[in-house]
Amino acid sequence: MKEKPATVFVVDDDEAVRTSLRLLLKSVGLPVETFASAQEFLDQFDPDRAGCLVLDIRMPGMSGLELQQHLNDRHSIMPVVFITGHGDVPMAVEAMQAGAVDFIQKPFRDQDLIDRINRALEKDREMRGELRERDEIRRRMSQLTPREREVLELVTQGKANKVIAGDLNVSQRTVEIHRARVMEKMGASSLAHLVRMVIEAHREG
Amino acid sequence: MKPALERKVARGGSTVAELELRAVLDAAVDAVIIIDSDGSIETFSRAAERLFGYASAEVVGRNVSVLMPEPFRSQHDGYIAHHVRTGENRIIGKGREVIAQRRDGSLFPVALAVGRIDGLDPPRFVGFVHDITDRKRVVEALRRERDRAQAYLDLAEVMLLALDSSGTISLVNRKGCEILGWPEDELVGRNWFSTCLPEELRGDVEALYTRFFDGTVSPAHYAEHEIVTRSGERKLIAWRNVALRDERGLVSGTLSSGEDVTEQRRAIEAVRKSEQLLRDAQSIANLGNYETTIPGGHAFWSPQLYAILGADPAAGPMPVEEYIEHCVHADDRERFLQAWARILREGGPFDLEYRITRPDRSVRHVHSIARVSLDPEGRAQVVGTLHDITDRKLAEEEIRQTQDRLTQFSRLSTMGEMAAGLAHEINQPLTAIANYAQALQRLLAAPADVEQEDLDLALGQISAQALRAGEVIRRLRSFVKNREAKTEIIDPTRLIADMMVFAEPDARLADIRIRVEAGDGLPPVACDPVQIQQVLLNLIRNAIDATIEAGASSREIVLRTRLDEGGDIEVSVEDRGTGISSDVAENIGHPFFTTKASGTGLGIAISRSILRAHGGRLAHRPTPGGGATVFFTLPAMPGSDK
Repeated sequence: MKEKPATVFVVDDDEAVRTSLRLLLKSVGLPVETFASAQEFLDQFDPDRAGCLVLDIRMPGMSGLELQQHLNDRHSIMPVVFITGHGDVPMAVEAMQAGAVDFIQKPFRDQDLIDRINRALEKDREMRGELRERDEIRRRMSQLTPREREVLELVTQGKANKVIAGDLNVSQRTVEIHRARVMEKMGASSLAHLVRMVIEAHREG
Repeated sequence: MKPALERKVARGGSTVAELELRAVLDAAVDAVIIIDSDGSIETFSRAAERLFGYASAEVVGRNVSVLMPEPFRSQHDGYIAHHVRTGENRIIGKGREVIAQRRDGSLFPVALAVGRIDGLDPPRFVGFVHDITDRKRVVEALRRERDRAQAYLDLAEVMLLALDSSGTISLVNRKGCEILGWPEDELVGRNWFSTCLPEELRGDVEALYTRFFDGTVSPAHYAEHEIVTRSGERKLIAWRNVALRDERGLVSGTLSSGEDVTEQRRAIEAVRKSEQLLRDAQSIANLGNYETTIPGGHAFWSPQLYAILGADPAAGPMPVEEYIEHCVHADDRERFLQAWARILREGGPFDLEYRITRPDRSVRHVHSIARVSLDPEGRAQVVGTLHDITDRKLAEEEIRQTQDRLTQFSRLSTMGEMAAGLAHEINQPLTAIANYAQALQRLLAAPADVEQEDLDLALGQISAQALRAGEVIRRLRSFVKNREAKTEIIDPTRLIADMMVFAEPDARLADIRIRVEAGDGLPPVACDPVQIQQVLLNLIRNAIDATIEAGASSREIVLRTRLDEGGDIEVSVEDRGTGISSDVAENIGHPFFTTKASGTGLGIAISRSILRAHGGRLAHRPTPGGGATVFFTLPAMPGSDK
């Protein structure tokens, strides 16, 4: 599956603002998709798509804050940059508390917006990288036999082979063989690496 | 006499006494008749012959009753017999007036004196008869004369009063008795001063009379003073007096005619008072009145009319032409002339407000109302009033200015409440412009990658959005700027669309949608669009606040226009907010009544006065299912049943 490039999703009910943002972002080479309402965006929302959301905080119908809530409910990781008007600071604070990366007040300097968008895209990339790594670790873990999983658990708890052999009531040699398999299947270069991978796999998300 | 009668003389067998008696009898002017106790005539004197027309011989021996008419004739014997029998004396020595009868049967009045000749048995009687026809006639004439004089006195509609020198009433006529309330017989002989004068005047008037009688002063020809009637009522009498003088030329009394002027004075006083009242009222009201006949003739101006015009009352009323030229303000002259010409032509009412210029060049506003009637010769009788309404005009102007300032203030205040929405509305195009400009800069920095389409879009949009921002500002300016009210003919749908520029951003900020449901084919309205938009914004602002406060799930306000049953345009703002409680409804529209923390309490009051000035009204009703619907009406343009 060929992954689409990271996209800036712009949601603003004001056509002029929307279109001008599209051109502005296009001028700096960023792929843009625009939506006239929060609902329109939600209808086509694909959590797998990389990018960030530029969201007008005030809109008729579903407001920017409500859309953010919807996305949070769907465990979206897409970073949100809010565009606020004059006097919308209380709403901006609320948006930040709900996990927005940033906000910018209209009218704004283009570079300020682009910087914020780039930071958001960077964050998206990071998060998607982490997600991908975690998915790989989980995939590899899923290839382990039950005995190998037991060994993995005990190894990552820092237990010596001899102790593990006692716990599992097998020979020390058997533990060593399983351990080598786990290291190989997980692609771990060291015990420290393996421990990190297990922690990663247990993270939420 | 008896001894003389007894003496006899030789000649003719008569005694000397008889001859003497005969001579006396014949010389007597009065008729002398002697009768015996049976009534038979014994002696009948010459004068008796002349008076009764009988010769002595004809009557001597006949009963004296022949000389009198019935019923005395038949009764006479009875009188004598009664006297002789009883000695009762009815006539003897007394004399009386009786009626006698001549030989020819004619009757005439006589004075009769009867004497009894004693010493004879039976006695005889002697009668002296004096013809009193002439005296009777004179007395009768005098009586008639007196009666006529009395009749004149009594006929006189004034009191006539004669006083003698002691102040005693010697004569008073019927009118006098009527005025004084006394019967004549009780009044005559009384002292005038103590009977008929009020106590406080008594001394002065009496002293004055005393001086007339002294001859010190002559009686005043004319005087007025009060009198007291028998019942104690006071009356004001106007007196005319003359002095009565005796044969020596001394004042012996006064004769006065007195007229009761109490009622007249009261009426004059009433007229004077009512004229004074009218003058005062005119002065207080600054209202003058006039009458005039056109063409030229009698004219009257009331004092206040001169005062209003600053004209000289001594100069008298001006002819209309002069009034128009000198008093009517030059700018109002044409209007005045038209109205004036019309009423002179057609009659009817004249009702005009115009200005006048006074001689000192000051200008006053006046309201003239006149009624004109045309007589058969085509002359106009004009009766009218002129009311100085300058103060009222100035007060009206002041109220209008205050109202304008309040309206303006309220509009600014409404706009202040909508400032956030408007700031947003201007921010949008500015943001877009900034974005386009910055995009262009970037695109032009790498010309190879530029698509012509993007350049066109950016440049086109920059100017379009600048215009958009400019338009918002222009509307805002025209909405808040201090302005004179002006009426335009406008399509209600457009009016609302224009107003939405302000209302929508505000609603959007509150996450409220305004849905406009415009009626189809509405006729245009004549109104001041800014003022009506002000009213609408106020209502929408209130609807937004009510919706927010209610936390209503339906965040929608419906703005509807329709033609109501009365043919007026109705504009309603329907929300699903908190609604209007009955105690709020009671106070709604009272200036400074507000339910909002930062409200001025002027919005609805001013909206109401704006609508009143437009001939419309403001009202509210509950929205079915909760909330309030506030609506107003505007009269549709007549004759535009599009």
